[in-house]
Order: sequence, then structure tokens, then C-alpha cells
Amino acid sequence: MSMDSLKDRLQSSFIVFENELKEETRSPLHSIRRQAMKRFEAQGFPSVKLEDWKYTNLKPIVKGDYTVFADREQGLEFSEIKRFFLNELDTYKIVFVDGRYSSWLSSTTHQNYDICTFSAGLRRHRSVIDAYFSKAAWGERSLVALNTAFAREGAFVRIPAGKVVEKPIEVMHISTGSIGDSMNQPRGLIVLEEGAEATLIERHQNLGNARVLTNSVTEVFAGAGSHFHYLKIQNDSPTTALIDHTSIVQERDSRVDVGTFVFGGRFVRNELEFKLEGPGANAGMIGLSLVDADQFVDHHTGVDHVAPHCQSDELYKGVYDGKSQGVFNGRIMVRPGAQKTNAFQQNHNVLLGEKATVDTKPQLEIFADDVKCSHGCTIGQLDEDALFYLRSRGIPAHEAQALLLYAFGEEIIAKVPLPELRQRLSRLMARKLNVDFELSL
Amino acid sequence: MEVLEHITRNEYAYGFTTDVESDKVPPGLNEDVIRLISAKKNEPQWMLDWRLEAYRIWQEMTEPEWANVHYEKPHFQEISYYSAPKPKKTLGSLDEVDPELLKTFEKLGISLDEQKRLTGVAMDVVVDSVSIKTTFQAKLKEMGILFCPMSEAVRDHPDLVRKYLGTVVPRTDNFYAALNSAVFTDGSFCYIPKGVRCPMELSTYFRINEAGTGQFERTLIVAEEGSYVSYLEGCTAPMRDENQLHAAVVELIALDGAEIKYSTVQNWYPGDAQGKGGVFNFVTKRGLCERNAKISWTQVETGSAVTWKYPSCILKGENSVGEFYSVAVTNHHQQADTGTKMIHLGRNTKSTIISKGICAGKSNGSYRGLVKMGPRAQNARNFSQCDSLLMGDACGSHTFPYIEIENRTARVEHEATTSKIGEDQLFYCNQRGIPTEDAIALIVNGYCKEVLNQLPMEFAVEAQKLLALSLEGSVG
Amino acid sequence: MLKIQGLKASIDGQPILNGIDLEIGRGEVHAIMGPNGSGKSTLSNVIAGREDYEIESGSLEFEGTDLMELAPEERAHLGLFLSFQYPVEIPGVSVTNFVKTAINQHRKAKGLEPMEAKDMLRLMREKMELLGMDKGFLSRSLNEGFSGGEKKRNEIFQMALLEPKLAILDETDSGLDIDALRIVAEGVNALRSPERSILVITHYQRLLEYIQPDFIHVLHKGRIVKSGDKGLALELEKRGYDWLKEKEAEV
Repeated sequence: MSMDSLKDRLQSSFIVFENELKEETRSPLHSIRRQAMKRFEAQGFPSVKLEDWKYTNLKPIVKGDYTVFADREQGLEFSEIKRFFLNELDTYKIVFVDGRYSSWLSSTTHQNYDICTFSAGLRRHRSVIDAYFSKAAWGERSLVALNTAFAREGAFVRIPAGKVVEKPIEVMHISTGSIGDSMNQPRGLIVLEEGAEATLIERHQNLGNARVLTNSVTEVFAGAGSHFHYLKIQNDSPTTALIDHTSIVQERDSRVDVGTFVFGGRFVRNELEFKLEGPGANAGMIGLSLVDADQFVDHHTGVDHVAPHCQSDELYKGVYDGKSQGVFNGRIMVRPGAQKTNAFQQNHNVLLGEKATVDTKPQLEIFADDVKCSHGCTIGQLDEDALFYLRSRGIPAHEAQALLLYAFGEEIIAKVPLPELRQRLSRLMARKLNVDFELSL
Repeated sequence: MEVLEHITRNEYAYGFTTDVESDKVPPGLNEDVIRLISAKKNEPQWMLDWRLEAYRIWQEMTEPEWANVHYEKPHFQEISYYSAPKPKKTLGSLDEVDPELLKTFEKLGISLDEQKRLTGVAMDVVVDSVSIKTTFQAKLKEMGILFCPMSEAVRDHPDLVRKYLGTVVPRTDNFYAALNSAVFTDGSFCYIPKGVRCPMELSTYFRINEAGTGQFERTLIVAEEGSYVSYLEGCTAPMRDENQLHAAVVELIALDGAEIKYSTVQNWYPGDAQGKGGVFNFVTKRGLCERNAKISWTQVETGSAVTWKYPSCILKGENSVGEFYSVAVTNHHQQADTGTKMIHLGRNTKSTIISKGICAGKSNGSYRGLVKMGPRAQNARNFSQCDSLLMGDACGSHTFPYIEIENRTARVEHEATTSKIGEDQLFYCNQRGIPTEDAIALIVNGYCKEVLNQLPMEFAVEAQKLLALSLEGSVG
Repeated sequence: MLKIQGLKASIDGQPILNGIDLEIGRGEVHAIMGPNGSGKSTLSNVIAGREDYEIESGSLEFEGTDLMELAPEERAHLGLFLSFQYPVEIPGVSVTNFVKTAINQHRKAKGLEPMEAKDMLRLMREKMELLGMDKGFLSRSLNEGFSGGEKKRNEIFQMALLEPKLAILDETDSGLDIDALRIVAEGVNALRSPERSILVITHYQRLLEYIQPDFIHVLHKGRIVKSGDKGLALELEKRGYDWLKEKEAEV
């Protein structure tokens, strides 16, 4: 099966999808879908000839016989997936199984605020969706267009002005593998009105050995003075590919922090884009990739400073073992008039595997003069002196290395707001590095 | 702001034309024109064949568009590909050079008279398509050093030229390299024999004089085992309303243990304050380092309407070293997309990149660099520092570093900052009695010092003056 | 020499100086003391011509010349010198190069030719000796990586070279240990002359033990609330600045 045949399949699926929608096809939302489908049809899957995909070859990923829609709901017991949740905490849960919402496994609310699904949002808050849908994630990207064309299900979060969501929100996308190789396209929409606050944790999990391709898009609108924490745990099985696009628009004095943690998955592409539209907005990005074998991880981040007096801070770290491949592309754009911008970016990588590679491109595009912008990037190995010191104290080489890597990663994990989640991430890291978690504490 | 306007209105000081009759080929490019150029230079058949093959390659190529610059593409059929000041004959002594041309070089502050020249510099002077004078040739010959116009080298040292020409920048490399290979006219050839340390700076001064011509020079420097040479080039052009094309190719070959230091002070006409006219400077410069060899590129770029060039090093041999030191100033409507490529192939190879960009007016400056470490580049090292200084809120500064690492023992450090001249710094200087314009020149020179320090003394002074001229005072 | 009358200044709409009257005669040494935030640094910046401040009213005269309309460098050329509380770093610009530029600009303003390089060097060496400075100092980048003591010594070094008529020492003692303070103060004292006036701005009395002032003024909330001779400094040292608040309460 070639790239084109998946494209063909998606084109015919779109016709099936439209038939299912019936009257819905007359809505303004659907005309956006149609336009998006046209865009995808014209552009197709991105190739390495595009600057944004220079180091990321999608060809082997889209060469698969994927089922585009699950035709029936899969029954799952909570006990089968319990280990993926933060069980130490009381949380809201939005759970999807093979792309379909599972009310059985979820715990949503419409009191004070809406934490539910995109489809429920469409029923209850059509005007909100019409106002925000596809307003942030737009532009030239064909995969975003593809997701938009099929946008039907995903997380919907709407927090009215001044409301604070006390419990974290967990969004879980489960693939059972019982329908064979499958493609999921969840679409999330998160709207925080003025002064609202929320924390959201997102995970994709494949339970079987089937191949899963996820093309996810999430749009976040952070109103004036709002505060949003968004944490992505990407620790999926070796037969999964994830393309995750997040577009965030920030109003005056809002603060959005996004953390992306990659331990698992065969192929991961993260696109994270901020648009700082209101003065005083603050964007934070942290990322940690710990990969080995033939894993591929790509982080593409972009911060568009439109308004003056905004700040963005970015710190990404990566450890690459085996013959894994890492890509980092961090773009900072400062528009004319965005004076007093502070934009900082750091990207640090450790190469462990003899065949591991890293391609990184931190770019600055500055059109205002009264700014402070910097980026730094390093690629190297662990500190030989530190390694020797540990070994001279009787710690074997492998453990010594793991301890240092653990410390390297902890700098990122320490920035995560929830202690329970920090512990979960530290545990995942320890397991990946094969060190004793208790020892490393 | 007043200061900024005053400065940004600064006139180009080298914009005069010289009134000498010239021998110019009618505009247009085809195989006959190439045959004509080759014939005018009395080239051997192999050279003509090489050019024609390049022309065929060029015709298959399309003009690149990836650089962060915008301009109206040159009309290749409207350019004259050969122009030589008359009388065209071999110049034995200075008396035979057209007096008008001598005056030109006096205005530029360059004396072609060996007696008057600083003794440390041998000079080749290229006007439009031909070399008009090379000084100190005889003295250098005693040491076995060849320093002559490229056209002379093709005739007198064909074995050397054939062996190395196009080995570092092949004809297929890119659109403008292919074009250059087909139509190149003059440029310098340097050959330093084994173990010889060239006792003086070798220098070429490039000048575009004729209207409607392009300059396509080709420079080839071969440093044999354990030799050393320092080479400098300077460039100016008259003020003309139309854009002129300069598409050069420079190839450096540093054999085992050799060192080549290549410095450029580029001040082609940048166009007027409205962005009219100016030179398109599309240049391919690349060096190859064998074992223990070193190539160091230093450039001070203040001219040209549009520039793209990436002096690069292929660090093939183990322990070889590549360096790139650059100051790029853009003002008015100038656009520059410049940087370097450091390709680490051998073990223990090292590279250093220091790039200082300064943008004023409505200009745009981009740093574009590649650091690549191949699978066999054990213990390769790179350090890069790319700083940008912005003056005024209508300019743009961009940084595009590409870092590709395929070896786990490699170490790369890259840093970049963007800032403006601090109000505090200016006030401090003012308080000590230094007016704002002088203060800015002082601060900019300090900012560029790491690069200017790399230039040979004679050029460092010229470069500092140029910086002051194109920028002194630029914060309102 | 310096005459300030009814000077009011603000920054971003925030009033800082609320009517300063101060007169400094030739050869006199004045000290302005006051708690943090009283407007001491603003006063020195306004005299030197920093443009961040809005002058609301009042007058500023130097030897009969109105300073208000003059650029900072023009004020410097008249013989006004400010020793900065936080001297800025200028990377890549050596002390020599900077000082040479400053001296020649002063000369240019006076219609003099630039100073010969050898005279310049001799002058610098002489002044360095005065301040007990190391030769290597001249080739370092201006203030970059300097210790607190080195930065302040560099300020006094420049003062010695530029020979101002009025030197304002803004918190010259801050960040200095006792030895560094002594060296700096000795440098200043060596530059005292009947022709040169000095305005010392400081929070602490400590510096005034070394540089003995003729007059002391206490600045509070942008106003000079008390003036006196050097005895006032000792009184302040004993009582601190709290009595100002009491005094304010009385009013």
C-alpha cells in the first residue's frame, strides 16, 4: 500500500463520513471540513521536500492498511486500563476507545464548566464551537487539514470566566487492536475564558500489537489572565505512530505551559504552536525525550510573538540510544511591533547509541528591535569526569550513566506542577533507563 | 531617530565609474558566447569543453529560491558576459596600464606601484572580466609560489588547473556555480609549494566598472603539504540604477598540514536608499581540508543589494580545522542570507563559527549555517556563536542554524542572541563626551572585534572604516 | 558653579524630584545623603542629561549655562562628570580605545587637535599609577568582567583623565570593601583642587570619612529636607533615617 492509497482511502471515507452526517453537512462547521478536505486533496501527505519535513520521512508510516473508522464500540473494563491513569488523584476523565467515546470509562461534567466530548460540545454549545473551531489550527499544514476534514470526536473543555477547575482533566485515547491496524484523528477544543484555570493530561495508548496511526489536532484558546497547564505523556507501544498538532492562542496576561514527555512509540511528531496575541502573555514549553532502538521523535515548536511585552521560555532535552533519531525545530518569530519581547529557547541532547542521530534547527526570525531573544543548543555526551567520579565510588558504569541521565531528565520533570504526575514521570524515566527508582530518589 | 536617518542616508563612497574604453561582448548567453570568451583568452580545447559541459548542466537547472531573500531574478540574456578595459594586451609594467584606471585605484586607496605598496601585500587587480595587473609576481616565483590571473594559469599551468578545478565546487553543485563554470572570465590562481610559507599577503581587488555586465570570477587556491598562505579580496562597484550580477566561485584546497586563511572585505554597491540598483552577490565558496589542514574564512560584508553566500569547509582529513568569522551589515533595503557549512567527515575535526549580524534601515539579514557530523567523525567538535544587533524597528534579523549529527562522540555547542545597542551604553558614552554617532561606531566595532581581529592589519583598518561608514550611529 | 532651582522631575508619570534647590560653588565638596528611593540617583542622572526623565519645572545651570537643552555629551564637554553607580559593560571596546575616544571628543569640542598617541599613553600611565592600577587593565574590554572595585576605580581613572570641573560621584562606595573604598577615595582626594567641585551621593556616612565634604544635604522624597556641615553625617550615622519619617509625621 502506498502513500497514495491511504490518501485514496481517506477520500472515499470522507464520502461515507458525509453520508453519516446527514443534515449536519449543511452546517457552517461542515463547510470548514469540506474546505479542509480540498486542501488535503491538493497537498497530500507532506514529503521530505518541505522544509518542515526535511528530516522527517512520513512515507513508511502512511504505508499501512489502516482502518479509518471503527465500526463498533469495543468493550473494555476499567481494570484493563487503570494503570494508565493517575489513580492517586481524583480526576475528570475523557476516554476514547478506538476513536469512539466511552461514557462507561469516563467521568465528565457540565456543572460550572464543560468537560466532555467534542460531540457533546456540538450538541450543547454549538455557538462556542462555531466561534473557535479551526481558528487557531489553520494554515498550510495538510495533516491539520486532514484532521479538520474528519473532525468529529475528541475532548471539549470550556471553562467560563473566573472558574478554576480544581481536579486535573485526563484525556485518554485507547486503541484495542481488535479492529486491526487503525488510524485515529481526535480533535480537541479547549476554551478558557477570562481568568479561568485548568490542568489537562493527555495520553495515547495502544493495548495490542496492531499498528496505530494517530493524527491528532488540539486547539487551545486562553482568554485574558487565564492559566492552562497541558501535559502530554507519550509512552506508547512500538507499533504506534503519533502526529500531534497543538495550536494555542493567548490573550492578554494569560499563561500556558505545555510539557511533552516522550518515552515510547515508534514514530512521534509533535507540532506545538503558540500565538501570543495579547500583551503580557506568557508561554512555557518543556520537553523530554528518552528514546532507544529504532524510535523516531520529532519536536517542531513555534512561538509567534504578535503582541508586545510577551515572554516565551522553552527547554527541551533529549537522550538518544540505540539507532534512534531525534529532530528538533524550534522557531521563534517576533513580529513588527512586538517590542519588549523576551524569547528564550534551549535544546540539549545526549547521543548514546552508536547509530543514533540528531538533527536540530533552532531558528529566530526577528522583526522588532527592542527585544531579548536567544537560543542555545548542545549535542554531546555525559560528563566524563562525573562518570569517573561515580565509578570511583564503586557504582558500575551502566548505573553511573543511568544516574547521570536521570539527573539530566529530572531538570525537566521538576517543572511539572502536580507532585503525583512528577512521580509518575520519574518512574517512567527510571524504568526506561533501567535504574532503581527508589535509589534514584 | 534623526541620527538614524542621517546615517542611513550615508552615500556610497566608491560609486564612481571610470571612463576607459572597453572591449565588451554583446549581451546574451549561448554556446557561441562561451566559445568567444574561451577564444579571447586563448584557452586550450579542454577548457572550452569543460565550459560547454557546464553550460549544458546549467541549462537543466532552475534558479534556487530557498534563501530568505526576495529580488527580481536576473535576465540572463541581457547580461554581457565579457568586458575588458582596452587596450587589451599583456601588461609588463605599470606604464602600460591605462592612466584612467590608475586613477580609479588611487581613488580606492590602492596603489599598483610595487614601490609604493605596503611590502607585505602582493596584489592582483580584476576589472570587469579581466585581470589588469598582478604585482610582486617575480618575487613570489623565486619561492615557487604561483600567483597569477586565472586565465594565465589555464595557459601556463594547465596540469595544476586541470587537476583541481571543479574538485571542491563541481559544475553540478548549484545553479550559479554551473553558470560561473560556463562563463567565468578571470580571478586569481594561487599555488603554494610543499612546505613553503608565503611571505606576503596575496590580494585580489575586484571592481565591476562597465554597465550591463556581470562579473563571474573564479579563484582557485592550492596549498601543498605543510604550506601556508593568507589571501585577501576586496570588492567595489560603481553606483548604477540597474542590478548587476556577481556570481563567483572560490575553491580552496589545503593538503596535509597546510593552512589557508581567506579574508574578504566585500563592499559591492548596495543600491540606493530606496533599494534601487546594487549588486546581486551570489557566490559559492568552499574549501577542502586534508589531514591536519586548516582553512579559515573571515568576511566583512557591507555591500551588495542581495547576497547569498556560505563559505564552507569540508573537513575530510583527521584533525583538520575549519573556521568562519563573519560580520554582515545590512542597511536600507539590503538583503543578506549568509553563513557557513562545516562538514565534518574525519576524526577529531574541529570547527568554530563566529557570526555577527547588524541590521539597520529596512534591511533583512539572515544567518544560515549547517554543522554536519558524519558517522566517521569521531570526537568532532563545533562551537557556534551567532549574534544579531538590530538598529531601528523596520529591519529584520533571522537565524537558521541546521545541525545534523550522526556520531555519538561528536560535541556541538550553538548559541545565538538578538539584541539592540543598550540605552545604558549610549548614555554612558555620551556622559564621557562621546556623541551618539561615535558611540555607536565604537560599540559596533567592539561587538565585531572577535571577527575584525582575524583580519590582516591592512584590511582590519579598512573594515573598521567601512563599518563606521555604513552604520556609525543608528539608534534614535 | 552648579545652580539648581525648584527642580521637579518624574518618570512614567511618577514624581521623583519634588523641588530641589542646590547651589555648589567652585572648589566645594558637597554630599547628598538619603535613604533608598529618596531620588539621589535620579538627581545625578537628571544633571547629566539622561532622557528617561520628564523635567516638570525648575532650572539647571552650570557656570551660567542653561543645561536643560544640552545633550549629555555637550554637558560632559562643559566639564560635568558622572561617576556611575553601575558602570555599563561594553564588550570588545578596550579601556584604551574608549578613553582615547572620550578625550579626543572633549578636545574636539574645545577646538583642539586629537592628542598624539604617545602623549595619550603617557597620560594614561600617569593616572594609572595614581590609582595603583595594573597595566593589563588598559587592554581589557570596558567594565566587562570587572570586579566592583575595578569598575569604580575605572570611573575615577576616567575622571582623572577628563579633568572635569564638577564631578558627581553616584554611590561610588556601593559594593566596595574597605580596601577598595580607601583606594578609590584616595584617588578622588588627589583630584581635589580649588578649581574642582565634587558632589558625593551616598547612602552611608562611611565614604565621607575618606572624602570630607564641606556641606551635607539630606534628601527625602525628592526634596532636600536638611542641610548642614559634616557634623550632620555623624548625626545621621547615629540616628539613621527613621527620624525623617517622624519629622514627616509631625508635619
